Amino acid sequence: MIEVNDLWKSFGPNDVLKGITLSVPKGQTYVVLGGSGSGKTVLMKHVIGLFKPDRGSVKVNGVEISSLSGKALTEARHVFGMVFQGAALFDSMTVFENVAFPVREKQRSVKAAELRRKVIEKLKVVDLGEEVLERFPSELSGGMRKRVGLARALVSDPEVVLYDEPTTGLDPITTDYVDSMILAAKNKLGVTSIVISHDIASAFRVADRLAVLYDGHLAAEGTPEEVRASPDPYVQHFLSMWFAKQ
Amino acid sequence: MIFFALEALAWAFRPPFRPELVLAQMAFIGVGSAFIVGVTGTFTGMVLALQMNYALKQFAAEGYVGGSVVFSLARELAPVMTGLMITGRAGSAIATELGTMRVTEQIDAMDTMAVNPIQYLVVPRVIASLLMFPALTMLFNALGYVGAYVMGIYVAGIPEGPFIEHTRGFLVPDDILHGLSKAVLFGLVVSIITTWRGYAATGGARGVGEGTTRAVVASSIGILIVDYGITLFAVGT
Repeated sequence: MIEVNDLWKSFGPNDVLKGITLSVPKGQTYVVLGGSGSGKTVLMKHVIGLFKPDRGSVKVNGVEISSLSGKALTEARHVFGMVFQGAALFDSMTVFENVAFPVREKQRSVKAAELRRKVIEKLKVVDLGEEVLERFPSELSGGMRKRVGLARALVSDPEVVLYDEPTTGLDPITTDYVDSMILAAKNKLGVTSIVISHDIASAFRVADRLAVLYDGHLAAEGTPEEVRASPDPYVQHFLSMWFAKQ
Repeated sequence: MIFFALEALAWAFRPPFRPELVLAQMAFIGVGSAFIVGVTGTFTGMVLALQMNYALKQFAAEGYVGGSVVFSLARELAPVMTGLMITGRAGSAIATELGTMRVTEQIDAMDTMAVNPIQYLVVPRVIASLLMFPALTMLFNALGYVGAYVMGIYVAGIPEGPFIEHTRGFLVPDDILHGLSKAVLFGLVVSIITTWRGYAATGGARGVGEGTTRAVVASSIGILIVDYGITLFAVGT
């Protein structure tokens, strides 16, 4: 479904990605773990075409996203939904307008009643009720904003959902809740997911496959068990930060 | 910036068209700036009338106050002062809003939802500016003349007949069109610079602040340069 092949990217003298190759099968959740500044977000922004690679390619359903631009790229993005680290809700719009936005823009003739039904349905998936519809993002807690962000990502029924640090800055209960949301999106809606995170516990909970990104390379890649058994010293050190506490 | 402007131009002619966003921006840029432009226009006309009266009285030519004020307003002061006022009020807000959207990833979010941010955010602001800068320039002209009239007739004691008569004699449609053509170009310059500075903002709150400052400074200088260029082209040396 998603094929990243020999991806290279530099910003000035900094080589951020150095030949990343990975594959995400349809319907699976793929987690990219790594420390701050390891290039995780840069990798994800290549997947959705926000960045152009210096070398290599990204293919989604056989379409090379990395070579598209303008209208073709805009069209290709219809398969995606994305949940941003800070939710990235439009602060001048209400919750309803935020969640309705992708549908309104995709189907401009959509009827108001149908739109409202879709928005309420997706808010229900993330356990939010109609009482939040007219609230602005500034009136929501961090956890609620993340959930509205997830509802907005799911509302146009995307094939692929990208999560950028979905649990960063959340308390343990809300983190657990967001993990459940990611699993629910996969199990109930069948979406393919890529999750960028440095939250090891959360990563091992939601991942079908996992990769650890370090210094522009994938230091380990495979199922959660395979990655945990990796002999790579950085991977061992990185994972020990959490597993040693268990 | 030129590439950004060309991209905005290209997206302006591609569907979907969003007239509701253009109207909202016209309300923000135009209706929202009407008060400050009106006040500035009125006081500029009043001050100009007093200054002209002081100067022309030396030659016993007070009757020409109305004509000289309206000529100065139409060709020069109305478009330039209106442009600077809108830059200060709406241009800075545009740069700040888009800059904040950029650094909080709202623009990236729009991109990922298959909505082109230039088409959604920039094009309506540019179209609204092209329409509202000349509209507000006309408001400035009208209220400036009212201010000059009140000062000239009721304060300086200039006879109404010559005041009106010389206004008609001085002002021709070309003067108005000259000012309006400036206003359209100022609208283009200010909207492109402010949206571009906001769109390209980086580095959090500080970056947004710097972007806004640069947008206002560059727009103000842009207005003065374009004003000089058009005047030189239209009037010559």
